[in-house]
Amino acid sequence: MKPIIETKSLSKWYGNVLGLSDVTLQIEPGIVGILGPNGAGKSTFLKLITGQIKPNIGIVRVKGQKVRNNYHLFSIIGFCPERDFFYEEMTGWQFIISLLKLHHFSPSEIESRAQKALEIVELVEDKDRVIRSYSRGMRQRLKVAQAIAHDPEIIVLDEPLSGLDPLGRRKIIHLIKSYKGEGRTIIVSSHVLPEIEAMTKRIILIHQGKIFAQGDIHYIRDLIDTHPHIISIKCSDARMLASKFIHQDYVLKVHFSSSNDSLLIETNNRDKLFSLLPSLFIENKIEVDEITSPDDNLQAVFDYLVGK
Amino acid sequence: MIQKNTGKLSFFLSSVKNVYSIFLFMGRRAKKTKIFFLLSFLPVVIAFIIKFNQIFSGRGNVRGIYIFSNLIIVFYLQFLILILALFFGTSVGSEEIEGQTLTYLTTRPIPKSAIILGKYSAYTTLVIIMMAVGVLLSFFILNLNNLGRFSLYKILVRDVVVLALGIICYTAFFTFIGTFLKKSILVGLVFSFGWENVIQYFPGSTQRFSIVHYLKSLLPVPRTGRFSFLMFRLEPSPDGLAIFMLFLITAIFLSLACFLFSYKEYILED
Repeated sequence: MKPIIETKSLSKWYGNVLGLSDVTLQIEPGIVGILGPNGAGKSTFLKLITGQIKPNIGIVRVKGQKVRNNYHLFSIIGFCPERDFFYEEMTGWQFIISLLKLHHFSPSEIESRAQKALEIVELVEDKDRVIRSYSRGMRQRLKVAQAIAHDPEIIVLDEPLSGLDPLGRRKIIHLIKSYKGEGRTIIVSSHVLPEIEAMTKRIILIHQGKIFAQGDIHYIRDLIDTHPHIISIKCSDARMLASKFIHQDYVLKVHFSSSNDSLLIETNNRDKLFSLLPSLFIENKIEVDEITSPDDNLQAVFDYLVGK
Repeated sequence: MIQKNTGKLSFFLSSVKNVYSIFLFMGRRAKKTKIFFLLSFLPVVIAFIIKFNQIFSGRGNVRGIYIFSNLIIVFYLQFLILILALFFGTSVGSEEIEGQTLTYLTTRPIPKSAIILGKYSAYTTLVIIMMAVGVLLSFFILNLNNLGRFSLYKILVRDVVVLALGIICYTAFFTFIGTFLKKSILVGLVFSFGWENVIQYFPGSTQRFSIVHYLKSLLPVPRTGRFSFLMFRLEPSPDGLAIFMLFLITAIFLSLACFLFSYKEYILED
């Protein structure tokens, strides 16, 4: 398949700070997830491929054309920025209408497209409210609406799920997935693995400005699953609970808290441990107050993968 | 499909027109516009106080048109149009960068220069309207007794046109400053009340390096009276040259602003 977006040796510095380093990749139609912890270079990459900033080294091509100062390309690109900034005094409707005007559609087409975009993100009822009064989730959905209103072929969404409640998140995920079969190219960034996982299997891992891995999500999952996880359990009898799974080969370490009411378990097979826990609680009549995973974040996984 | 419209002047003008209509609409509702609209009413209040004083003190010997002409030079030419042009001109570029809304405009199929020209035109229109409303009201209040005199209206039209030219020129300059510098307001204040207010009184050709010199050249010179010092050492340029220079300065700074905005990289900060 012919790549839609190509980058070669793409590098970007902000003064002495490295934004992106030597990124060479090709993105084909479909949904691609850009995954990385905060500050990894995801937004820099998305800004470079949409021509908003200049690379220090390297080239970016979208459909074989240079992207910076090539405004014609934006008739087929929709961009949803990560930052939460708007023309606050406008209503949601005025905001979408104004941006659609810049696409040179006819007045009737502008209205119908704005209506459709707001329907998709379920903001029709609130379209006449000023943006200043919108909740975080509504603002996020409005950003997505302006990115899709002109029906672009390439949709670039920078952290589109941040600030959304679970229902809103599910709707946006559903919307993004619905575009998959239409031959579009959708690039979505996130620092939350399950969010990306819910949308696509093709992911690019970015860490410290570099492409750390790319490919099928199962490959990344396999890497991540070998990462020793720490699970914290606060319960009525921590020592008894520990005695029940200490002999399991996937349990590597157990620590007790000084107050003896919680324990930290280090395991290299989180799924097996989680499947065992409910029966142990019931059989031994252990009351559970809290189960958390202190290192269950992407940064910890990346730190493990890069061998820190 | 990518819409290719390269070289089509009509596409560019249509882009400018679309940006213009968006920002004229937004500018009308902006808090900044409301505040500056109130400020532009200050001379109207002054005119009203003067007229009120004339009527009730019985000392109405000073002609209304004389006070009006001084008001134009003292308040409008040396202060108000500079302030309005400074705050609206610098915001053409800087409010998009500081407000981090630049992304919404630069990811549209329009040339970046159309963004600058459209916003510049919208804000210039707003500022001219603000100025014109104040000038008209001041004129009518101060010349309440002579509204039937046709010659007064010629003065009014000339003054409004000169002030409008000043706004067009200053706003272009400040638009450039706003796209070029981070601390554009500070630099603009130094230019407005430093450079412009000092250099115009230099003898010889030096005063031609100020915009106000060309504006003053288009106004009649009050050689006598309380405010004649404001025309001190003015060596006026011919009307044609003054108008040409004002348009040339406008064209140069707008072109520079468009060029910078198109090629400069704006990093939106956290």
